[in-house]
Amino acid sequence: MELAIGIILGCCALGAGMAMIAGIGPGIGEGNAVASACEAIGRQPESQGNVTTTMLMGCAIAETTGLYALVIAILLIFLAPGRFVNILVETMNNIK
Amino acid sequence: MTKLDKTVARETVYICVWELILSVLMQAIYLAVGLWSNKVLFGNLISAYFAVFNFLLMGMTVQNALKMEEKDARHAMRFSQSARMLMLFLAAGTGVYFCDPIASVLPLFFPRIAVGFRPFIGKKNASLNEEEQKSDNN
Repeated sequence: MELAIGIILGCCALGAGMAMIAGIGPGIGEGNAVASACEAIGRQPESQGNVTTTMLMGCAIAETTGLYALVIAILLIFLAPGRFVNILVETMNNIK
Repeated sequence: MTKLDKTVARETVYICVWELILSVLMQAIYLAVGLWSNKVLFGNLISAYFAVFNFLLMGMTVQNALKMEEKDARHAMRFSQSARMLMLFLAAGTGVYFCDPIASVLPLFFPRIAVGFRPFIGKKNASLNEEEQKSDNN
């Protein structure tokens, strides 16, 4: 029983860690977007307002991908272990 | 501390208003379904606050990054994104653990919905941007 619970907890933590791999992408993407925006503003300083607005919206959209991963990780860490252990305990009780 | 850019402030207010509207809508749905409780309200409040704060921090980072060299800007943005993810993880984790999980997670996505509605309100803001730029140039 303890082994099964340990496996459940370990798998949840592993899954949360793997989910957060998706959090790397938005950081790289936002970094590239801002670097390109710097270049664009350097060429045309008068367009700073428009570039900033567009980039803010773009960054917000890019960040959503990371948020999906974050939510999956949060659910796997805070909610899933309790639910899975409950299911395991109920199943063991039914078998007995 | 650097002064907040007009564009960043305006976009943050826009996101804040949408966050408020959608949060009220979510609370109304919880009430209508009969699942409303204090936990739902607190979870929503925590997440909504941090979603708007996350957007504001992103805007401030962008504002500062635009004044840097390309390489520094890229690094600043990456570091900011990692730090903000950690902040959201702690905030949403607190909400999920102590309050209602769904009410704590959903408000994090409201800014995305607000951005989705942006093109419908975009024309007015574009003209405002042009006016601001003209006044700045003058």
